[in-house]
Amino acid sequence: MTILRVNHLKHVFGSGELAVTALEEIDFAVEAGELMALLGPSGSGKSTLLLCISLILAPTAGSIEIDGQTVYAEGWAHRESRRLRREKIGFIFQGHNLIPFLSARDNIVLALELNGVGRRSARQRADELLDYLEVTHRANALPGNLSGGEQQRVAIGRALANEPPLILADEPTASLDTERGGRVMELLKRIARERNSAVITVTHDERMIAGFDTVRRLRDGRLLVAEEYT
Amino acid sequence: MDLAIKDVRRHLGKFLATIAGVGMLVAIVLIMNGIFQGNIADGIWLIENTRADLWVVERDRGGPFNESSRIPTDSYRSVAATPGVARASPFISYAVQREIGDREQQFTIIGYDVFGGLGEPGRIIAGRPIRRAHYELVADRKLGLALGQTLRLGVHDYTVVGLTRGAVDSGGNPLAYLSLPDAQEVLYQQDNRALEVQRESDRQRLEDAGYSSTEVERLLPLLGGGSATISAVLVALTPGADRDAVARHIERWLYLSAYTTEQERELMLEGKLKRMTAILGVFRTLLLAVAIVIIALLIYVLTMEKVRAIATLKIIGAGDGVIVRLILEQALVLTLGSFAFGWALTTATQDKFPRNLVLLPEETMLTFIIMLVGGVLASLMGIWHALRTPPSLALGG
Repeated sequence: MTILRVNHLKHVFGSGELAVTALEEIDFAVEAGELMALLGPSGSGKSTLLLCISLILAPTAGSIEIDGQTVYAEGWAHRESRRLRREKIGFIFQGHNLIPFLSARDNIVLALELNGVGRRSARQRADELLDYLEVTHRANALPGNLSGGEQQRVAIGRALANEPPLILADEPTASLDTERGGRVMELLKRIARERNSAVITVTHDERMIAGFDTVRRLRDGRLLVAEEYT
Repeated sequence: MDLAIKDVRRHLGKFLATIAGVGMLVAIVLIMNGIFQGNIADGIWLIENTRADLWVVERDRGGPFNESSRIPTDSYRSVAATPGVARASPFISYAVQREIGDREQQFTIIGYDVFGGLGEPGRIIAGRPIRRAHYELVADRKLGLALGQTLRLGVHDYTVVGLTRGAVDSGGNPLAYLSLPDAQEVLYQQDNRALEVQRESDRQRLEDAGYSSTEVERLLPLLGGGSATISAVLVALTPGADRDAVARHIERWLYLSAYTTEQERELMLEGKLKRMTAILGVFRTLLLAVAIVIIALLIYVLTMEKVRAIATLKIIGAGDGVIVRLILEQALVLTLGSFAFGWALTTATQDKFPRNLVLLPEETMLTFIIMLVGGVLASLMGIWHALRTPPSLALGG
């Protein structure tokens, strides 16, 4: 089952002589249970593509479908973008981005409550996720008191809270050492398999690409075909 | 989940310190309100305690409290003879400064007719009113005197026979009541050396005017400094008497000014208390503005600290309402906390305050509403900044 389909996506910053094409003719699909890596040097358009898929940036042309629903087509306004993000996308950030004044458990509860889940159910679900991610013992700790790896696990828990079909991970291993980074990649793979989610990981980290099902590379705003990789 | 409260818990020290600081500013505002209303209450009490229908003072003078007024003592007899007047009592009031209990104290002496006249002391908490013509004193406890203690004023000692509580003038100075002759003596009696100088000056003027030495000796006693003046005559009207008509009659035939109690109160509010109103008003406005600016700055700084968290909230799907509530609630916590602290501090110290503080509920409520509106306005800058924060800020390292 296709979770994400990107069709003829194009994005141009500015207009007239100052126009800069950041993305050109991007077409790809990600299936349920697939772990995809999106690689590319700085300025290749990775972040722009991530922002477009996240419904934060409206593309200049093309369309995006998530879980069978067209969430963006040319000319659409992002009126429902926050609701769609809550329901369909889970985010994992490079800097973990846990809310610093909430405990590990509350960070997960918040994502559930924002999606309309009741307090008690949210707490129960958060505890299940903490257990799944093996950080139950840190449930009441504030992010500042967690290690980098623990923070990333809690952040993954938050991304999984609403069981979104699509998980977007922005450089999830960048702030971790090889061993911890490897464990996070294992975890993402497990999530993709066990939960049947599509996981797209934007990364610079060539050490980790062996673990991905699909690797796509961006250069100058275009997706490269396999022959162009070298 | 209440994000604001969770954040307050994390920054508890910062919030408590701000609440204490801003709360003290609020306390100063409330105390200023209290001082101002206390002065009005004291001034009005002094007027109303006399239970006079009319105040008769020197022609075109705003006396006796706002401006000095001197009229002959005997004029109260003429006032008493006016149709519609049931009772007319002489009254004198003046400020003095004396050393009492090893410290200089300013107080106001009130002299009145102790045998049934108007203007007798109120708020007596110990002892009794003055019952003898001389050498008895009723003093406010703020002077630090005790019953039975004597106070030297001029050349005589006066025994404290009664103590009052809260009997002060509009400036907060305690009152000391004497019989009218005693009050006049304290005011006018000169020491022997001053009398000699005055007598020599009078002699020289008579001789310069061509009087013989025999005539000078005969005239000199008549020129002696008189003590036969009072500040006002307090008037009680007969039932059914037309107050305005009696006042007009006194002004026309006795060449004095007569004010009703309401007019006397207006004179005090318009005169002595008007400038204080303006000064306290400016200070209160400035202090409230400073308090609100402090809250605004702290909220703004806390919002700036949270900008990445706010971007994250947006990216994980939090609506604007969640973000507005986060900032607004913190502004309200600061505002309400500061007001509560200030109010508690004011009420806790109210009785120990050296001035009479009158905290009117409506004025306290107005201050609260101003603080509340200010607190909401203070959060606007932070809210504006938070709403403009792009969710993309959450991405990247």
